[in-house]
Amino acid sequence: MDHIVAARILMGISLGFHIVYSTIGIGLPLLLMIAEWRALRTGDELFHQLARHWIRPAGVLFAIGAVSGTVLSFELGFLWPRFMSFSGPIIGLAFSMEGFAFFTEAIFLALYIYGAERLSRGMLFFCTIPLTVASAFSAVFVISANAWMNTPAGFSLANGVLVDVHPLQAFANPAWAHEALHGTMAAYVATGFAMAGVSAAAMLRGRNLDLNKRALTLSLAVASVALPLMLISGDWAATILAVQQKPKLAAMEALFTTTRGAPLVIAGWPDPATGTVRYGIKIPKLLSLLAHRDFDAVVEGLDAFPPGTTPDPRIVHPFFDLMVGSSFIMVGAAAWFWWLRWRRREVPQGKWQLRALLFASPFGMIALESGWLVTEFGRQPWIAQGRMRVAEGVTTQSGIGLVLLTFLIVYLALTAGLLWLLFRPSSAGTGMETKQEVRHVEP
Amino acid sequence: MWSLENLAGGAVLLGLVMYAVFGGADFGGGIWTAFASGPLAREQRESLFHAIGPVWETNHVWLIFVVVTLFTCFPTGFGALFTVLLVPLVIVLIGINFRGAAFAFRHFGRRGRDHIPFMAGIFAVSSILTPFALGMAVTASVTGKILLIDGRVHAEPWFWLSPFTLVGGLVGMGVCAYLAPIYMAVRTDGELREDFRPRGIIAGLALGILTAVEVPVAMMDAPLFAGRLLASPAAFVVVLAVIFGIATQILLWKSRFLSAQIGAAGTVGLTITGFVAAMYPDFLAGQLTLAGAAAPHATLVAYFAILAVGTIILVPSLLFLYWTFRGEPDTELP
Repeated sequence: MDHIVAARILMGISLGFHIVYSTIGIGLPLLLMIAEWRALRTGDELFHQLARHWIRPAGVLFAIGAVSGTVLSFELGFLWPRFMSFSGPIIGLAFSMEGFAFFTEAIFLALYIYGAERLSRGMLFFCTIPLTVASAFSAVFVISANAWMNTPAGFSLANGVLVDVHPLQAFANPAWAHEALHGTMAAYVATGFAMAGVSAAAMLRGRNLDLNKRALTLSLAVASVALPLMLISGDWAATILAVQQKPKLAAMEALFTTTRGAPLVIAGWPDPATGTVRYGIKIPKLLSLLAHRDFDAVVEGLDAFPPGTTPDPRIVHPFFDLMVGSSFIMVGAAAWFWWLRWRRREVPQGKWQLRALLFASPFGMIALESGWLVTEFGRQPWIAQGRMRVAEGVTTQSGIGLVLLTFLIVYLALTAGLLWLLFRPSSAGTGMETKQEVRHVEP
Repeated sequence: MWSLENLAGGAVLLGLVMYAVFGGADFGGGIWTAFASGPLAREQRESLFHAIGPVWETNHVWLIFVVVTLFTCFPTGFGALFTVLLVPLVIVLIGINFRGAAFAFRHFGRRGRDHIPFMAGIFAVSSILTPFALGMAVTASVTGKILLIDGRVHAEPWFWLSPFTLVGGLVGMGVCAYLAPIYMAVRTDGELREDFRPRGIIAGLALGILTAVEVPVAMMDAPLFAGRLLASPAAFVVVLAVIFGIATQILLWKSRFLSAQIGAAGTVGLTITGFVAAMYPDFLAGQLTLAGAAAPHATLVAYFAILAVGTIILVPSLLFLYWTFRGEPDTELP
């Protein structure tokens, strides 16, 4: 296998794997914090039990997130050493900040998970605050590094050597603000829907109704607050892309030729040979409106850029549609839920209602992963837009195909372990029950 | 001496020492779960698992701290090292992943007090494998066999496999196996404590022998490194490490456990400091100096600003963590 392809697949699989766990690691702390706060404020013990119930997924997923994140930091070195030699002094600072956020997260999650017998309830709640804040900051920091790859800033090059580094400009590069907002909110949506799905599944089996009603409402509430922010920040991102990352926007929208009053193409298969989108649905002038707030604005197509400097719309456009489509599925499911919740003044428990939520539950993660693929595939062939190509950043070491195979086996094994844990009969809740029994014995 | 690139080298050293002293003890705990023996074997194993639980993820972050500091402050050196050390570092990563996941699966998959031997087995094996491979990688980086020719890195494919690095791998394991029982002796009492005490003494002896053997091996296999190790100031640090090691053995013998814990951590810290001091002022022995590998000045300034702010948040949080989970490990945990 070509070692650039192998390196890209390996980095992609490692990131795609890590993203699932880190997303839950960002979203779940917020749910824990709200649940513990509700328990303290209302005295409703079920909220505390709910939070302690979430410890198992939080603990396991955070552990896998931590170790799989380590793979990424190493892979930066052994897959992209030339890119890191160039960009390390710039994006390394974002990673350094993320490192401290990650330290804080690890410390307070451990205190929260293992501290039940050693800390007061107020202190347990307190621990969820730095946990939530640090996990959100870790996302905001690490996204700065990705944003820098999209819009490199804060440095200049003299004979290929970095000079004139401005760490703040590099950190707050043009793509950072919208990516950070969009990405962090996406973590809350993805976690909220995933956890709502877990609760809906449990309710469908008639398990632990009181607890799961609260879990469902809480996780869906968090997702539903973040979801509109996603749509707004997504729209904001599109208007910024239209200025800063035109080739990416063109590939996302499968716009081959520069057009005045460009249509929005939904679905379809972009065909670079003919420069058309087969089977797509065209909405006239909508892309110009979305990108430039003007029905008759000119939107640059892929033909506006030199050949060999633009991404392939065949892998960007479908993932973009998948991301947007997923968000509408979630909006639909959430709107139905809140409508019934408002009409009946209680958590709806109808079979079809719960099934709809269960169906919608993976789409937060699907949207997040496909959004990430859009931003990565949409930057090709660049590793740092306009500054360094992927082929210039890759390692000179051979045998990357073998390393890819090795890590595929590692990730399969970890996934198998997770499934084992998930389907381990009657393990769910046992920890809780034994602990409560112990508590009862105590005077 | 106090230039920013030297201080950044100091930050790498700090991260390595912290990872060894804290994270190393967690790996050591894993090693000793495999070698738990005697009538209290089960209690030894349980107490090790319980002691590791709340802290291993935090302790693990020191490794990420080292890697991030390397690519931020010494980007060219980082790129070179990670290119040629691919194989041992991949082994390290496999070990880290299996060890962390097996621990979590075992911990959160337990029903009551069952043991889940399969997960515990993977945990133990990867706890042995990881420090061994990391020890090999770290010692391979000082062999002087990594060459920079026209800015491109070259090394023989199997250069990282030699008597020097094999002993280095054993030293990596030895450091971990040495710290864990001594830390555990502070946290336990009675017969269990008397189980951990001799294990600490034996591991201390083994570590002493291994590090002593490594010196003549280095003379053959990594002469540049060996020469600097035996000259001041590295030699001074090495002598200090030996004194600390011997003092720790005496303290263990006399059952002065808290002092022994500090002594053991000091021994390991000084051993690593001596190792790194022998590299000074190079990043890659004989090929690339710290100054030559360093990032632009503005980056180093920003890095230390982040380090300062991070330290203000990190130190009280870490103290709170270790203070909360001090003493006897919990046996009833989620």
